[in-house]
Amino acid sequence: MYGTQSKRDLSLEFQSQIPILRPSIHARRANLTVKFQDLYGFTVEGNVDDVNVLNEVREKVRKQGRVWWALEASKGANWYLQPSIAEGIALKSSLKFSSLANAITLKRLIRKGIPPVLRPKVWFSLSGAAKKKSTVPDSYYNDLTKAVEGKVTPATRQIDHDLPRTFPGHPWLDTPEGHATLRRVLVGYSFRDSDVGYCQGLNYVAALLLLVMKTEEDAFWMLAVLLENVLVNDCYTNNLSGCHVEQRVFKDLLTQKCPRIATHLEALEFDVSLVATEWFLCLFSKSLPSETTLRVWDVLFYEGAKVLFHVALAIFKMKEEELLITHHVGDVINILHKTTHHLFDPDELLTVAFDKIGSMTTNTISKQRKKQEPAVMAELDQRLRRLNSLKVDENEN
Amino acid sequence: MEDDQEAGGEEYLFKVVLIGDSAVGKSNLLSRFARNEFDQHSKATIGVEFQTQAVEIDGKEIKAQIWDTAGQERFRAVTSAYYRGAVGALIVYDISRKTTFESVKRWIDELTTHCDTTVARMLVGNKCDLENIRDVSVEEGKEFAEQEGLFFMETSALDSTNVQTAFEIVIREIYNNVSRKILNSDSYKAELTVNRVSLVKNGNDKQSHLSCCSR
Repeated sequence: MYGTQSKRDLSLEFQSQIPILRPSIHARRANLTVKFQDLYGFTVEGNVDDVNVLNEVREKVRKQGRVWWALEASKGANWYLQPSIAEGIALKSSLKFSSLANAITLKRLIRKGIPPVLRPKVWFSLSGAAKKKSTVPDSYYNDLTKAVEGKVTPATRQIDHDLPRTFPGHPWLDTPEGHATLRRVLVGYSFRDSDVGYCQGLNYVAALLLLVMKTEEDAFWMLAVLLENVLVNDCYTNNLSGCHVEQRVFKDLLTQKCPRIATHLEALEFDVSLVATEWFLCLFSKSLPSETTLRVWDVLFYEGAKVLFHVALAIFKMKEEELLITHHVGDVINILHKTTHHLFDPDELLTVAFDKIGSMTTNTISKQRKKQEPAVMAELDQRLRRLNSLKVDENEN
Repeated sequence: MEDDQEAGGEEYLFKVVLIGDSAVGKSNLLSRFARNEFDQHSKATIGVEFQTQAVEIDGKEIKAQIWDTAGQERFRAVTSAYYRGAVGALIVYDISRKTTFESVKRWIDELTTHCDTTVARMLVGNKCDLENIRDVSVEEGKEFAEQEGLFFMETSALDSTNVQTAFEIVIREIYNNVSRKILNSDSYKAELTVNRVSLVKNGNDKQSHLSCCSR
C-alpha cells in the first residue's frame, strides 16, 4: 500500500550495503573532506575523524542491539511494551515494584539508544501513537487521504513548495515516490488539525519519521501524537506562540544551567531564538546528523518535550569555552551550526544532556511555561497593534 | 580578534537582511552573491543562516553580513532578533508569482516595526529568467518601489543577472547613510559602533546617484 514496501527495502538496503569506510592513510594525512552516506541514506560531509566516529557509532548500535535481545530473553518478548511500563515514567507512584524496576531499566536503556530495527515498534507504542490510532476506525488514514485528494489550500501550496526542498538528494525522500508519500502525510495532517495546517519544519520531521517507521500510516500517527501530546501546544499554529514560549523558557534555563554563557551572550545581544527556533521546530532533524537526531527522539518519545531543553542546553554547554571568547553574534551562530552538524556521536551529546545538565522535571518546566505565556501573548499582541497602526497611518495618507 | 586594520582604523560590517515570502529564492540570492553558486537542491530555510562577503566601495573594503530566514507567514512574528542591528534589507518576491509581490507591503511593515534606524531598502523581483511565466511586470515592480521609496531591481539567482549589482547598491547606500549620519549625529554613531561598525572620521559624501534600474 502506498508503495511503502519498496521504500522499506531501499532503506534496509542502505543499512546492509554501506561498507565500513576505511579512510586511506593518504586521506588521513591530507585531512580531506569526504562525502559518504550515513545509516539512513543521508549524504554527509565530514573529515576522516567524522568517518571514524560514525564507524564506532555503527559498532555501538550493534552492541546495544545485543543488550536489548538479552533483556528480551530474560524478561520476555516485548516486555517494554506492557502498558504499566510504557507509562511508567508518568505513573511512578502507582506502580508495583517489579514494574517500577522495569520502567527504570527501560529509561536507562532508551537513553543508551533503541536499536534501529526496534524503533518503529517501540516508538509507536511508547509515544502513545498506537493508543491514539486505536481510538479511531482502522480506515481513518485511508479515508482521510482519499477525502483530501486534489484539494488546494494555503497549506497544500506551501507543502508543494517544500517537498523538493526537504532533504534534497536523499535517495528515497527525493524521488517522485518519496515526495508523494511525504505529501500525503503532511496534507492529511493539515486537514486533521486546521489550526496547525502546515508549518515549515514539519516537512523535515515527517520525512525522518517516514524513514524510520514501517508504514506511511504509522508515520502519520507519530506526527499526530507528537503535535497533539508530546510537544507543548501551539508550537506550530499560526503565530507559533508555543514555540515563542519554549524559546523564553530555554533562555531562562540557560541562565540557570550555564550562567557564564548566558551572561556573555546577553552582552553580545545574542538571542537564543536565532538558533533554537530551528532546533525546536525541526526537533533537531535539520541540524544534527540522522542517528544523533533519532537518539534524541528515542528519549523524546519516552520522557517528553523537556528532552529538547536538555539537548539544546547540552549543545551550548559542550562549546562553553569557545562561546565565551566570541565577540559577535555571527561567531556564536557559526560555532553552534558547526557543532551540531558534526555531532556524529550521539552518546557524547546525550551524556552531557542528561549527566552534566542535571535533572529538570516536567513539572518545573510546565510551571516555567505558564509563567512565560502571558509575556508571549502580550508581545504578539503588541506586534499586531504596531502593524495595525502602520496600516491606519497609510490609509490616512 | 582580526588582523591589524589598515591605516585609518576603519572596519565596516553591515548587516543586511533578506525578507520575502517562502520560496522566492532568498537563499539562492545569498549563495549566488556570497559564493557564486546556485543550488538546485537547496533546503527550505527554517532558522537563521548568514554569509559574510567583502565588497569594495570607494576603495574601502566593506564586509556585508547577509542574513536569511524562513519565509512562511507565521514565522514573521518569531524573528525580532533577526532584524536587530540590520542596516539594509532586500525585500524579495518572485516575478512568476503575483501573491509574493502582493505580500511585499506586509514585509515592509514588518521591517518598519523592527528597525528604527534608516535602513537601506531594495525591492527585488527575483527569477527574472522565468520570462515565459512572468506574473508581475517590470513596471509594476518599479512603480511600487518608487511609491515606497525603495531601490528596485529584477534579478535571477539562477543565471546571476543583477545579483551582484543589487547587493552592491544596497551596501553602497548603507555606506552613504553611515557617512552622512556621522556628520551630524553622535547618537547614531554610538548606535552603529555597538554593531561593530567603525565610522569614517571625515566622511565627505558625494551622494552618488545610481542609474539604470535603481530609483
